[in-house]
Amino acid sequence: MKKYLLIPLFFLAIQVSAQQQQTEGIVYYNYTQYWTKIIKRLTFLSKEEKDRSAMTWKNEDGYTQKMKLFFSPSQSLYSYNNDEIEGAGYSWRKDEYSIYRNFDQDKKFDVIEMLGKVYIVDDSLHTPKWKISNQIKDIAGFICMKATMDDPVRGQKITVWFAQDIPVGAGPERYFGLPGMILGIDMNEGDVIIEATKVEFKPVANELKQPKAKGKKIKDSDYDTIISNHIKESMKASRNPFWAIRY
Amino acid sequence: MKNLFLLVFSVLLTTSLFAQTPANRISIQGKVTDTTGAVLPGSNVMLLMTTDSSLVTFGRTNDAGMFSLKNVKRGSYILKISYVGFIPYDKLLDTGDQPNKDLGPLKLKPIAKELFEVVVKTARAPLTIKGDTIEYNAASFKVPPGSTVEDLLRRLPGMQIDQDGNIKAQGEDVKRVTVDGKTFFGSDPKAATKNLSAEAISKVQVFSDKTEQAKLTGVEDGKKEKTLNLQLKDGFKKGSFGKLTAGVGSDLRPNSDGTARTELKGNYNRFDDKRQFSVIGMGNNTNQTGLSFDDYQDFRGSNSFNWNDDADFGFSSGSRFISFGGDDDDNLGIPIGGGSGRGYSNNAAAGINYNYDTKKTKFSSSYYYSQTRQTIDAVRKSQTFLENSSFNRTDSSSQLNFNNSHRVSLRFQQELDSMQTLVILSNSRFSKGNTNLNSWQQLYRLSALSTRTTINNFGNTDAFGTANSVVYRSKFKKKGRNLALSATYQVNLNDAEMNLNSINEFFQATNVNDQLRIIRQLQTTDTKRSQYKISALYLEPLSKKFFWESFYNFSLRNDVVDRDVMDRGESGQETRNNVLSRYYENNYLFNRLGTGLRYSNKGVNLLVGAAGQQFKLAGEYAPDQTAATFNKINRTFTNVIPNVSFNYSMKGNKYLRFSYDVGIQLPSTRDLQPVIDNTNPLYITEGNPDLLPTLRHQLSGGYNMFNPGTFTNLYFSLNYTYNVNQIVYNQIVDPTTLITRTKPANISGGQNVGSYIGFGFPLKKTKANFNIYSNINYGKNLTNINGQLNETNTSSIGIGPRLDLTPNDKITIYANANWNISNTKYSISTGQNQTIYNFFYGGEANVKLPLGFYLNTTLNYRVYKNDRFGFNQHIPIWNSSLYTILGKAKKAEIRFTAYDMLNRNLAVSQSAFTNSVSQERVQTLSRYFLVSFTYNMRGVQAKMKRQNFF
Repeated sequence: MKKYLLIPLFFLAIQVSAQQQQTEGIVYYNYTQYWTKIIKRLTFLSKEEKDRSAMTWKNEDGYTQKMKLFFSPSQSLYSYNNDEIEGAGYSWRKDEYSIYRNFDQDKKFDVIEMLGKVYIVDDSLHTPKWKISNQIKDIAGFICMKATMDDPVRGQKITVWFAQDIPVGAGPERYFGLPGMILGIDMNEGDVIIEATKVEFKPVANELKQPKAKGKKIKDSDYDTIISNHIKESMKASRNPFWAIRY
Repeated sequence: MKNLFLLVFSVLLTTSLFAQTPANRISIQGKVTDTTGAVLPGSNVMLLMTTDSSLVTFGRTNDAGMFSLKNVKRGSYILKISYVGFIPYDKLLDTGDQPNKDLGPLKLKPIAKELFEVVVKTARAPLTIKGDTIEYNAASFKVPPGSTVEDLLRRLPGMQIDQDGNIKAQGEDVKRVTVDGKTFFGSDPKAATKNLSAEAISKVQVFSDKTEQAKLTGVEDGKKEKTLNLQLKDGFKKGSFGKLTAGVGSDLRPNSDGTARTELKGNYNRFDDKRQFSVIGMGNNTNQTGLSFDDYQDFRGSNSFNWNDDADFGFSSGSRFISFGGDDDDNLGIPIGGGSGRGYSNNAAAGINYNYDTKKTKFSSSYYYSQTRQTIDAVRKSQTFLENSSFNRTDSSSQLNFNNSHRVSLRFQQELDSMQTLVILSNSRFSKGNTNLNSWQQLYRLSALSTRTTINNFGNTDAFGTANSVVYRSKFKKKGRNLALSATYQVNLNDAEMNLNSINEFFQATNVNDQLRIIRQLQTTDTKRSQYKISALYLEPLSKKFFWESFYNFSLRNDVVDRDVMDRGESGQETRNNVLSRYYENNYLFNRLGTGLRYSNKGVNLLVGAAGQQFKLAGEYAPDQTAATFNKINRTFTNVIPNVSFNYSMKGNKYLRFSYDVGIQLPSTRDLQPVIDNTNPLYITEGNPDLLPTLRHQLSGGYNMFNPGTFTNLYFSLNYTYNVNQIVYNQIVDPTTLITRTKPANISGGQNVGSYIGFGFPLKKTKANFNIYSNINYGKNLTNINGQLNETNTSSIGIGPRLDLTPNDKITIYANANWNISNTKYSISTGQNQTIYNFFYGGEANVKLPLGFYLNTTLNYRVYKNDRFGFNQHIPIWNSSLYTILGKAKKAEIRFTAYDMLNRNLAVSQSAFTNSVSQERVQTLSRYFLVSFTYNMRGVQAKMKRQNFF
């Protein structure tokens, strides 16, 4: 009994001391895309072709992008992490991609370059319907709980891990709306894995602003229509739709 | 502060609820504590739907451990409370009718500390807690292949196994082991854990269950015992696949020799997540010499293509090189493609491949045997232009070639640590070949027969080639800094023996002795080429946008040729021919040091650099290695080459590039060796040991655009090349005998300009696509003909439209055409200027027929035209195949194929060289029918559409 007494106190101590300023800072993520898994989603390929690509490219699979998320209780901004040198002195252009959320004003401002165009999704938040389950896992030193949702537009099963210790309802990519910060995402059983590598707590008011961007303004519903039409058309034309849109 | 967060969150997620009337809304309050009653501030309190656990609202406990969820719709919910280090609390909840529901104190149970610290924090394993059950994910705990469940359990934190195999979980004895919830092998828990393979297990669950006695009697005795449940995998990642195709058919021709057409090919693969083992075999007499691309990929698996295996470093273009099939220069790789070749060939091949891939170590090995027996019956015509005259040549020949080769390839890659990688590559080939050539040549001046030759040559070759490289790459703590080192050793041995027999008649000769020459010779030529190479590359980031790169290359090539030519008299006596016999040794030393500055930022990449290089040529030759005096060669050639490249990728998938570089090419061993080759006595070639390397100044630019929204694409490119020390083959034609002697020499001034434009867009999205391309090229080539400089100017234009129609699943049609016109002008003989036309029309249709049949039909129509020669050849090749997929599992296919239904196949080529125009027609496998059966373990799918990249 003595033992049991000590443990909660121990955790309590960490919890209290850590909780003081765990609501503002930066989360660094690795976004890794597994192409051979995505190829397995292409309806126009035969099983033989899918297996062949998985077998041939198994050592070359997994392309990682560095991302970062600025967060505070009221806002979040997610985009590429350009702090470090990537590759060996060769720079590939990245599609414009910055996801801004204002929780106080119930507003999103997502700048997304896709299909050769820059779109701005300017709309209210529309919280996804999350299902909470009982699994726990450690990501970047935080104990996370599992939540899932189904993305009917892309036909994907999204599994996320959110940290109970960071009480901010933000997350990477376009996901948010859980009782804690999303630190890990598994899109469609491993097609894309996003995982936090580091969480820094510090004031980020200067960085946390709605980005300025030019592009075609659309609503969430327009975005969904564009994506679902593109996927349908590409599958019909025997093309991989995910070359031109973010997975 | 915390209250503020609580407020923010409640507001945030309940905003939509606020808008509605609060009449049927209630508030829920409670207090969260641990089992001792100590409050747990900052706990997550969530309200979930009972139907699907979806999140309705959430809140957080305050400093007093209190929470309040407001504006909750009446109904039943799951209340879930989580706090780090505690088992999540779940409770079914009915709001009831009261506007306020107070749940009072709610107690959370702690997770055993050991389990929490070790499993969750250290192993980072997803751990599921279902009530009192703790579930381990077996995949997170690595055990060696072949391990038992017992070995797996030893790795699980909180689990202890003693010497006898008794299991303890969190300090308590495990009394029962179940598999998928069922008792396994009676009551001994060890039976399952000692016998089951760890690979078959997906999850390990530990929980306390009622005793067996309590279960049987139904009398609750209050005792609980630890139970271990093993959940099996649905079918773990391990498997095999294979494919077999067998076909038989006939030419159905009265004049055919009656041999059946047969094709047989198959492959079989076994794999698990680390290993792949495959075998492949094929045999046919339908001109399929190499593997298809797909079969090659299935055979080599993860080793089909390798990035960054190139051991020669230089100015980096940024793009990573892809290499496959080993060293292509020396043909050490497995042959791919080569279908529907010239003549008639019988082919056989077999191979075995093994790959072992882990994150840190990658190993691949393969052995491949192939053989080809080929018959070529050809008729060739050519016209050669001299200063003021020209002559014609006709040649009808019959050739029988046999070749076999054994190829062994090894590749080993090891990550030494997270920064360093080592790659070891070895590709070797051992081959044998023989060739038997009968040829009858006639040379005409105007229409008078000038020279006639009958050749009967027989030759054997034994060759061995091997290329071995070690490549070391290292990254450093400083991001962007890179170092690469490589060393390569290559050897090529070639032992050839040739029996020459020819009768040459010279009708223009004035001297009787010169009218007939008979050559009977035995030539043995042993060649050895070895090359040692070392390369280094270093990349240093100067800032986030600027990089400095430097490289060094060293190469030493050593050539040794020992050629003995014996003249054979009529009675068989042999005398050494000192004109043709030769011993030659040569060292070609190359050093290059280069450096460049690179700017790369936001899709803009600019490199400006230069390299200094030196070639040293040191050689000697004599009629024999025992000769007293040797002719010496000593040459040094030093220069500086600049390099500029610019790449810019823009918004909307637009891409612009420009580059200027100087390419170097060492002369081939064949061109360097001072050996006279009289295999064809009317066309004698000789090497030149003084040759310098060719430098090519290349300017190139291009623009690409692809719009993925509209599927529109545009490509444009422009290239210019200026050659310095280009290796050309100077000719001297004997005016009487018309014997041509060629010898390579360096010449500067040859140029080339080429342009390409391509445009494609959908006429109707997903149903009809149209593409068109055009290329325009202009080339200037220089050669000395009988000591006089000849300039050949060739300009050509090509246009090709393509239409793809894919209206529905039942029919697809592809049509394309290419029109190529090339115009050649000769400075020494302007009267011979001429225009060559090569046209191509292609069509393909795939039709889905009733009763599960499919039809594929293709028509390729080629036109070869040259008005000056009155040459006008039309070759339509029409192939069709009808097939159906058999069985419910769709794993077998039966196919009826008709090749060249019009029976018109003939291999034709026409070309205009420096000072000659030639055409060739080769008798080639034509109409035949084939019935084939395919069984594919992975299933057969009808191919209605052409493959895109995916």
